[in-house]
Amino acid sequence: MSKLVVRSLLLVSAVALVVTAAAFARSTSKADDPHSGDITYWYWAESDAPGANAWMKAAIARYQKLYPKVHIKLVPQATDTLIGAFRTAAQTRSGPDIATQWATLPTLTPAWIGASVAISDYVPKSELAHWIGTAENQSFGKVWAMPIYLLGVPFVWNKALFKQAGLNPNAPPATWAQLLTACAKLKAKGITPIGMGNKDGYTGAWFFSLVGKQNLNSIDELKQAMLGKQDFAQPKFSGFYTAFADLKKRGCFNDDIASLDLNQGWQLFPQGKAAMAWTTDGNALAWEKTLGAAKIGVGHTPVWGHGKLAHTYDTTQSSDAFITSWAKNKEAAAAFLVWLHTPANLLSWYKATGVFPADTRFSPSNIKDPIAKQLFKLDTTGPAVWPENFLPPQVDGNADLPAGEMITSGSGTPKQAVDLWLRVIKQWKQQHPDEYAKYAKWASG
Amino acid sequence: MGERVEPAARALPAEGRRRRRRRPVWPYVFALPTVAAIGLVFGYPLVMVVRDSFYAGSANFLVYVGTANYRNVVADPVFVTSLKNNLKLLATVPVMTVLALAIALFLNSRIRGWRAYRAIVFFPYILPATAIGLAFSYLLQRNGTLNTLLRDVGLGGIAPDWLGSAHVVMFSIGGVIVWQQLGFGVVVFTAALLSLPPEVSEAARIDGARWWQLQRHVLIPQIRRTIEFFVVIEAITVLSWVFNYVYVLTQAGPGFASSVLEYYIWNNGFQNGSIGVASTVAVILLGMASILIAVFFRLRGRQVQA
Repeated sequence: MSKLVVRSLLLVSAVALVVTAAAFARSTSKADDPHSGDITYWYWAESDAPGANAWMKAAIARYQKLYPKVHIKLVPQATDTLIGAFRTAAQTRSGPDIATQWATLPTLTPAWIGASVAISDYVPKSELAHWIGTAENQSFGKVWAMPIYLLGVPFVWNKALFKQAGLNPNAPPATWAQLLTACAKLKAKGITPIGMGNKDGYTGAWFFSLVGKQNLNSIDELKQAMLGKQDFAQPKFSGFYTAFADLKKRGCFNDDIASLDLNQGWQLFPQGKAAMAWTTDGNALAWEKTLGAAKIGVGHTPVWGHGKLAHTYDTTQSSDAFITSWAKNKEAAAAFLVWLHTPANLLSWYKATGVFPADTRFSPSNIKDPIAKQLFKLDTTGPAVWPENFLPPQVDGNADLPAGEMITSGSGTPKQAVDLWLRVIKQWKQQHPDEYAKYAKWASG
Repeated sequence: MGERVEPAARALPAEGRRRRRRRPVWPYVFALPTVAAIGLVFGYPLVMVVRDSFYAGSANFLVYVGTANYRNVVADPVFVTSLKNNLKLLATVPVMTVLALAIALFLNSRIRGWRAYRAIVFFPYILPATAIGLAFSYLLQRNGTLNTLLRDVGLGGIAPDWLGSAHVVMFSIGGVIVWQQLGFGVVVFTAALLSLPPEVSEAARIDGARWWQLQRHVLIPQIRRTIEFFVVIEAITVLSWVFNYVYVLTQAGPGFASSVLEYYIWNNGFQNGSIGVASTVAVILLGMASILIAVFFRLRGRQVQA
């Protein structure tokens, strides 16, 4: 009886050992093999680059054909829950293996709480050297996310409507005074000067990035204001709300700006109902097709401020891709992301979306359209900064967006908008002492 | 009753008494899985929410802050606005009650096609709040369908920016809520009216009661309990079930002017990752909803006694 028990135990132990060894061997081979494993990819880009979802789906199909042991599940994400959904995933340490976030703080904040791994640990330096905009996601000596595309935010104008209002169609307003003059002339002809939508707060947030930065000499000043070491109430930081309110007061915006979201407000420009707008490269090119290349002009935002950043352009990688800390196949995820940057994929991305890839291996000779050439030049010539990237997500969502809404809806004054910022910056410090400490360390370089 | 049972129990033999003592254990054993499930699903999260309300930081880096969250939340103007907006929305309850009652009484008069009218009025209630929100977000734009119509008939003066103006937005949200919830009230009240014994109404008519007198003094008093039930249910609804409307119609804008407590919780908990603040407001909201639920049970108790 006892022999039988001993034999049984030995048999069970042997089987368990074999099963464990097999499982270990399997998991080891999977983890070490960059071309094997299951990957869940939470993806967002469609709003920035129409056609992006279809392109990514096709790219995944090509990759899976190339590496049949890799299975990638694409999960498109919504704009208004992009940050919140990943926050929840980070709390539960489950969900995507590759995630998408907007650049800088929305990407670095989860990295600081250990929700992601540095992509520079998985990608060779020679590859990283080709990626444009990696500085936006750099923290503590490492790069945390992969840029996919470049997003420029040009100021666009309708040359035909300019001509109709007696303005020079080839000389867009370069200064704030010229912008106000153009507004007055267009209004006098019954033309809506600037067509935008701010029900979702994005026009206000863009105004902060496009105009609000113009009194700063460097983005470090903004970081100091977030840390409470400089006063955001100073006109240097928040004086742009006066200019924003002034545009609203003068009737420079469409009268329904407060009840249309950004995408809805944008439709006024290609419909020929508004003479000016701020938009993305992708939209500018789409509008060129609607209006005709001869009718659309693209350029810099008129200069309002006197800081060094007043003459910087407005390019960002917008969204990026990073590998989560709980991903089981990090090597495989990294290999896929690197593959997206192969020259053939960069070109197919550009052809599918019209948006420029964030990679030096993309040849400008592929750009044939004259407006696209201008946009590419704007995006890649000279310094560019998008200050919204440097706001803690809580400050962006609870101050930047609603403060602009207060102005466009007429429910708040510039001072009330600034008070909201100050309150939210304080709340962020109180509610996220961990995030604040990391931000301070990061800001100190 | 107890006094009569006790001597009989004393008279049982020793074995019988033991059996009697053991017997009551089994019901509790049978109930244990349910009690454990309820404890796990409701009790544990409730305890954790109360606990988290005393902490700050992200989920994995919580720091004990005592009652600071409660103090900070009460001092936050957005919280105050949210609370006020919930209270403002309570004003929709009497509006929808009166309207639903009026329609139910009208339909109860058995006008031709009353069943079809009841179905039409009930229809918005079965629509998802998200679909309603999306439809109304287009209808209520400054240059949307409603205002275009108003301007066309010369009423442009009363065509505000329904969702883009901080002064009007809560009226708009309240209007959408009334529009949707009305059908529920009509169905509930119609059902209550149909269940009334016809003799009372007939007697009143024979006594010479006119239509209004019949409704006011005979029918409405008889369905008073149903009206009370509806009022409490709707009060709880507008206090803690309006997130969908706000999220889809305005996303709490412009500038948090249409924020409600649920949105405040969602924004802090999920968008900002401020678990402590979200938990604090959840505890406050739970307290408010509990008061209404207590009122509801009290009314129901009275109803049972009656």
